[in-house]
Amino acid sequence: MKPGSKKYNYMSSENCSYFVTAAVIAAKLDQATRAAQQLTLIASNAKALALRAGQGAAGFRPLTDFIHKLADVTVSSSKKIDLLATELSRMAAEKVRGDRAIAHFDTVYENAKDSPYIHSLDVVYKRTVEKQQDVVIAYRQQIDRLNEELDVLEKELRAAGILATLSRVEALQADSFYQDALNNVADNVESVAVSIKTHIKSSQSLVAELH
Amino acid sequence: MKTYKLYESSTHAWLVFGRDPGKPSQIIDTNQYMVVSKDNALLIDPGGIELFSAMLTTVIKQVPVEKITHLFASHQDPDIISSLGLWDQALENATLHSPWLWESFIRHFGMNNITYSPIPDEGGQLHLDDAMLRFIPAHYLHSSGNVNIYDPKAKILMSGDIGAALEEPEAPIYVDNFEAHIPKMKTFHQRWMPSNEAKNDWVSRVRELDIEMLCPQHGRIFRGDDVGRFLDWFESLEVGITQKALG
Ligand SMILES: [Fe+2]
Ligand SMILES: [Fe+2]
Repeated sequence: MKPGSKKYNYMSSENCSYFVTAAVIAAKLDQATRAAQQLTLIASNAKALALRAGQGAAGFRPLTDFIHKLADVTVSSSKKIDLLATELSRMAAEKVRGDRAIAHFDTVYENAKDSPYIHSLDVVYKRTVEKQQDVVIAYRQQIDRLNEELDVLEKELRAAGILATLSRVEALQADSFYQDALNNVADNVESVAVSIKTHIKSSQSLVAELH
Repeated sequence: MKTYKLYESSTHAWLVFGRDPGKPSQIIDTNQYMVVSKDNALLIDPGGIELFSAMLTTVIKQVPVEKITHLFASHQDPDIISSLGLWDQALENATLHSPWLWESFIRHFGMNNITYSPIPDEGGQLHLDDAMLRFIPAHYLHSSGNVNIYDPKAKILMSGDIGAALEEPEAPIYVDNFEAHIPKMKTFHQRWMPSNEAKNDWVSRVRELDIEMLCPQHGRIFRGDDVGRFLDWFESLEVGITQKALG
């Protein structure tokens, strides 16, 4: 690219808020992580309930293991996405810094065009643009990784609905003494899953804005 | 931004850049200095982020960019060195000389390529090809880690915020009437300088130096007898006074 040609593709002013968007995604995933940690608590309570109920809710016991597994997967996945999004925000800020430097160099080309030393800036310009291109590639890759991870978590959460339904089926067959408690587990699993899904959905649409 | 040559010899030259007509009016006017020797150039208090393109435009009219191998920040203030993150993109192998006290703070401006060379409390020296510059401690004037640059051959003392004045953007670069200059610098020194003890210690050390020009980061340069006048005035001034006490 010819230095000072202004052909370099700057981020538009709205794009300059990329790092803000990425930070918002990280914050959403932080909320999702906390919701997922609630799921862990629900799983532990369900297990205790299954132990107390014994034969009174025999079919429920294996379900609690699945809830536990779901909780673990959800916690680790949302933590991972949180980290990816935090890193993405850092990369976006770096991208803005590089763009600003290039914009400043363009101004210098314009205002010092008669200087005998103006071409000493060419190597600086080339280096900065090349570095910036690497930053952009890494940034795009990071967005792809973030998207993949969000999809994975979304798929994992589909199990929550099934687990809630199965818990309700077990509740019907359990001693009446435990029915309310089992239905309660089902409700909790469902509502936590819904709240995590909401965070994922809004993260996904924010990520789409970054492309 | 305007350029003035302050000194030139076979070994090196001193330039000052400032009085930038394009500078936003809310930003304090600053003087940036550059020492150019055979193969190297030192930028002294290169300035704020807002000034960067104007500065690089001015500098590149004097030297090729790769010749800027040294930067100096007398202290940590934004008007001194907040442009660092951009110089860091422009200069690949430069060294920044600044008080050791501020290293971990100044790095917040963004520094990946430039090397930080911490100046110890007692000062030190810098050789630029055949030129030799001394780092003179000026702590608490105003910053708690603060250094001046003295050039014994050019007899120039770059004094940072000491001797600073709040001036019109078109003001001349040299003090031409010391008495008339006092009101422009009095409040600045009384309010920004916190310690009479540090001030008097500095004055007595600086009196020992042979100084032809005292060059502050804001306002005008003192030449000849005005250097002594400034030292006398500063010595008798009580500093460390808030606006309220100033009345
Ligand atoms: Fe300052
Ligand atoms: Fe200053």
